[in-house]
Amino acid sequence: MNESEEQGVDDAVEAEGLVKHYKSRAGVVEAVRGVDLRVRSGEIFGFLGPNGAGKSTMIRMLTTLLTITSGVARVAGVDVAREPDGARRRMGVALQEAGLDPRQTGRETLVLQGRLFGLSPQEAAARAEELVELVELVDAADRRVKGYSGGMKRRLDLATALVHQPEVLFLDEPTTGLDPASRLTVWDEVRRINQLGTTVFLTTQYLEEADALCERLAIIDDGLIVREGTPAALKAELRDRLHLTGEPTLDDVFLDATGRTRSRAAGDVQEVTA
Amino acid sequence: MTAWVLGQRALREAWRTPEALVPTLFIPLFFLVVVVGQAGKIFPAASTGFLKGQGYGAFQLPASLLLAASFGTAALFLVEDIEGGYFDKLRATPIPRTSIVLGRLIAEVAKGLLIATLIVLLGLVFGITIASGVLGFVLLVGLTAVWSAVFVGFMQLIALKTRSAAATNSGGLVFFPLLFLTPNFVPRDMLTRPMEVAASFNPVTYVMEGLRSLILEDLEWSAILPAFAVAAVLGALMLALNVRMIRRYD
Repeated sequence: MNESEEQGVDDAVEAEGLVKHYKSRAGVVEAVRGVDLRVRSGEIFGFLGPNGAGKSTMIRMLTTLLTITSGVARVAGVDVAREPDGARRRMGVALQEAGLDPRQTGRETLVLQGRLFGLSPQEAAARAEELVELVELVDAADRRVKGYSGGMKRRLDLATALVHQPEVLFLDEPTTGLDPASRLTVWDEVRRINQLGTTVFLTTQYLEEADALCERLAIIDDGLIVREGTPAALKAELRDRLHLTGEPTLDDVFLDATGRTRSRAAGDVQEVTA
Repeated sequence: MTAWVLGQRALREAWRTPEALVPTLFIPLFFLVVVVGQAGKIFPAASTGFLKGQGYGAFQLPASLLLAASFGTAALFLVEDIEGGYFDKLRATPIPRTSIVLGRLIAEVAKGLLIATLIVLLGLVFGITIASGVLGFVLLVGLTAVWSAVFVGFMQLIALKTRSAAATNSGGLVFFPLLFLTPNFVPRDMLTRPMEVAASFNPVTYVMEGLRSLILEDLEWSAILPAFAVAAVLGALMLALNVRMIRRYD
């Protein structure tokens, strides 16, 4: 029996007691303090949390980009620390920065990505053609990325993450900085990718995004998971626990889970006057 | 194989940024013209034994070639990759970490071959001859290109450690002492004793003497082999340190 079978095929992402400590000049920073998590195959899973809560650290550990201080993480059944290359073949990664080379064209970017995942030049070219159609960048495919809009870069970044047809797609704040129209386009892409059978693990700061896209979600705060469940279940739990008369929003769940209040959150925003 | 694929990407990057490539050719030629203009009369070809019958420009050409090999622009492109997130995208692919380093070094060797060939050809136009013949010419540009990869390897270490363009640029200034603590104006046996000791500890000295030997003499393996040995050993060291740093990159 191989490792995948032992872990069960239903879990696309698993974390057990995941911990990340950084050494800094001020001492040891405990960015993630023991996270247990399971994401089922085929779902869109949202990972929420305030700034600095540990979202990006978690996604970087799961995608082999950060070493793990302790605990175990598996993606598609493969231990990311023990078999990083095996895990990388099963996952696609689109990080916050839309990591693209501005001097390459969209097509060159996709062909190169395909070659790095072992495709022949012909296979990589054919796959690039499929992907520019999927993310609707056919007309811009032979232009340099430098001239792309923010939304186009995000869609190209998504396409690069899909070159090798991964089982799990990690998206770190995929719509941060996008205008509302581009955001809706990325949502459509994410849904379409998921319908094709790819599990999606996304972090976001936008609760409406999590509500619109995610079947289940977890909220991390101060390096620990503080809520986990479907959006409907989390709202129902809050309504019942606080005996609310109206239906709470995901914002209310988030604020309750992270110990923040609306007035405190509003206080974080400084009004700028001329 | 993946190293070559990444090397092609790095070459496209260089080709599409000519403004980063032009100074690599222009500054070393400027340096050659200025030094020969200032010191050429002190060392007349007819009465200066160490010139082996050539002008002072032939003696100075290795310093210009080494200067051309010390720009390390590839390391600055690496910082751009790190800052822009493309480096993480590469790290998330199942390729050997060696390929990530080698890709840029392969491109640097190719760029080094082009730049060194252009500088030497321009030298030929102005009367410098390559005494070691066609094989010597090939070894001359080859050694320069390999040295440029060694230097970029060093600058990439700074880039990976600091992730900062400013720090990488500043770190690259180490080429000044490395280039000038050498017998760059006169042969090593004519240096003052402290300078001779310093030059003897500087690996660049052996590369410079190898390059100079290829220009002024027939194939003199006692000077050529140490130059290639220094470049090979330091090249292997830089590769190993780069790979180690990428593996530990958090």
